[in-house]
Amino acid sequence: MKKYVSLALCSMQNTLAYRLSFILNFVANFIGLIAMYCLWQAIYTGRAELSGFTWGQMQSYLLITFFVNSMLSYYSESSITNKIIDGSVMMDLLRPIQFQKARLAESLGSCVLEGLLSCLLIGLAAVFTLGIQLPNDAATLLLFLFSMASSILVKFGIVYLSALLCFWTTSGFGIYWARTSITNLLSGALVPLAFFPSWLQSTAMLLPFQGIVNTPVTIGLGMTEGIEALRLIGIQWVWIVLLWLLGKWMWSGAVRQITIHGG
Amino acid sequence: MSLIETKGLRKVFRQAVKEPGLAGAVKHLFTQRYRDKSAVEGIDLTIEEGETVAYVGPNGAGKSTTIKMLSGVLVPSGGEIRVDGLVPHKQRMENAQRIGAVFGQRTQLWWDIPVRESLGLLRDIYQVPPETFKRNMDAFTELLGMEDFLHLSARKLSLGQRMRADLAAALLHDPKIVYLDEPTIGLDVAVKHRIRDFIKEMNRNKGTTMLLTTHDLGDIEDLCERLIIIDQGRIIYDGKLREVKDAFARERTIHMQLSSPIPEAESLFRDLPDVRVVRPAEDQGASSLSVRFDRFRCTASDIVKRLMNRGEVVDFRIDEPSIEEIIRRVYEGQLDSESLLLAGRGSA
Repeated sequence: MKKYVSLALCSMQNTLAYRLSFILNFVANFIGLIAMYCLWQAIYTGRAELSGFTWGQMQSYLLITFFVNSMLSYYSESSITNKIIDGSVMMDLLRPIQFQKARLAESLGSCVLEGLLSCLLIGLAAVFTLGIQLPNDAATLLLFLFSMASSILVKFGIVYLSALLCFWTTSGFGIYWARTSITNLLSGALVPLAFFPSWLQSTAMLLPFQGIVNTPVTIGLGMTEGIEALRLIGIQWVWIVLLWLLGKWMWSGAVRQITIHGG
Repeated sequence: MSLIETKGLRKVFRQAVKEPGLAGAVKHLFTQRYRDKSAVEGIDLTIEEGETVAYVGPNGAGKSTTIKMLSGVLVPSGGEIRVDGLVPHKQRMENAQRIGAVFGQRTQLWWDIPVRESLGLLRDIYQVPPETFKRNMDAFTELLGMEDFLHLSARKLSLGQRMRADLAAALLHDPKIVYLDEPTIGLDVAVKHRIRDFIKEMNRNKGTTMLLTTHDLGDIEDLCERLIIIDQGRIIYDGKLREVKDAFARERTIHMQLSSPIPEAESLFRDLPDVRVVRPAEDQGASSLSVRFDRFRCTASDIVKRLMNRGEVVDFRIDEPSIEEIIRRVYEGQLDSESLLLAGRGSA
């Protein structure tokens, strides 16, 4: 266990080494947030509510989505794909560590910094807007925070699986774009799932992506409560376990596949 | 049981066959054809604990592939493999704990954190006890001269520094076996020496078994008693370095400095087979003379004696062909592999 903690710490250090590009990446995302904010503001003019969302809720929605999307950013994702593409995965195979656990540890390590930085930006944003609506009662707040943490693990599962696809494609960028757009759409990061036509909404609920944004956001906004919230978190964990096992299975297939260049 | 044992070890890579040009590339999108490329075919290896073995062969002979299979990174296509009683690709974690590896073309250090931190991280990964870590760090820092760059991140190191740091990283957890894949590639003479001394030291003091591939014949002569030559995925020689020299380096050259020229020195050796007299082109005074002969057909003393009868020999030295010369001839196919194998067996 200690080795994975050390890997996580090292990954934090690594992220700090690239602080400039890390921060620029963040700023770019933040500008995206501002654009979304203006867009929704225009949509809400003259309206009190849209598909059950008030303008105040929508603002919180945007901020929470920004937070969740900032975790496991392009930065950690590309570090997994690059390992596979440039063949340095071999160096990992030489060590007594498990690839999947090591990648999780590293991703969580950079998540700490990503989390801190986004909290800072969100705090800043909240001051200038209506602020962020957080659950009033402690139980819901706890559920919200727990579902946020779980959403990172769901996202890791998806990111890891898509990164492993690089074993078969030898290029990572296309996979990254495909992964991002599918995730953004089906998680509710772009538009809340409640705005979808019902068939798309019910399809999205059957997939793991909704666990990334929809679950924490609806719990945080108090749209799902009590048993229903617990059920959504339960679904998140079913996906976390399933994606982890799928990742394990795919990895063992990939290892058989590798023919590291320059052998 | 030996420390490393393989029987009939094979590795076949699947290569995509693409037809030339755009049309070929488009065609490849729909129908993929593959060709099997055999990198290693049927390698039998037995390496005992504490040995230092040079594993040489031309580019693409299958050296790195063998090492990758031994270290558990590649899954063999066939044959048996046991390293310290383990099957590396099946018991990868246990095997990884006992081995160290340096791949000259890649680093195992973290690119963006100081070398010292990288080594600290490896300490945690390999669960090296604190006393061992401290002892090894102190020893390695001194032996490899790492003091100057421990605080730098790997990306800032020169090649020689990086290679030294990589060696330290590979040996930090006191592995039983170390695989060195071209550990001195592209290094200057001073660093090469340092690295060779370090490897020797580790082998002598800790009994670490070393298997190294190299194109640098200085590495082989300096470090290894045993030589394995492979070509096209097969072992063509396995035996003592000394014996391959005896078998194929039959030719000797005596260079002599004479007090006065000996005219028609050639006539002295007319009755001896395969003796040739070579006069250095720049020395027309002929007070120096070289004689080339086969040491199994006549002796050096016979040659020198005949010359001493005719004049005074001021100084002389004997040259033997370098291992480089021999291996070059093997690569070029001038020495056929059957006679090499015979030489190897003779030594066993």
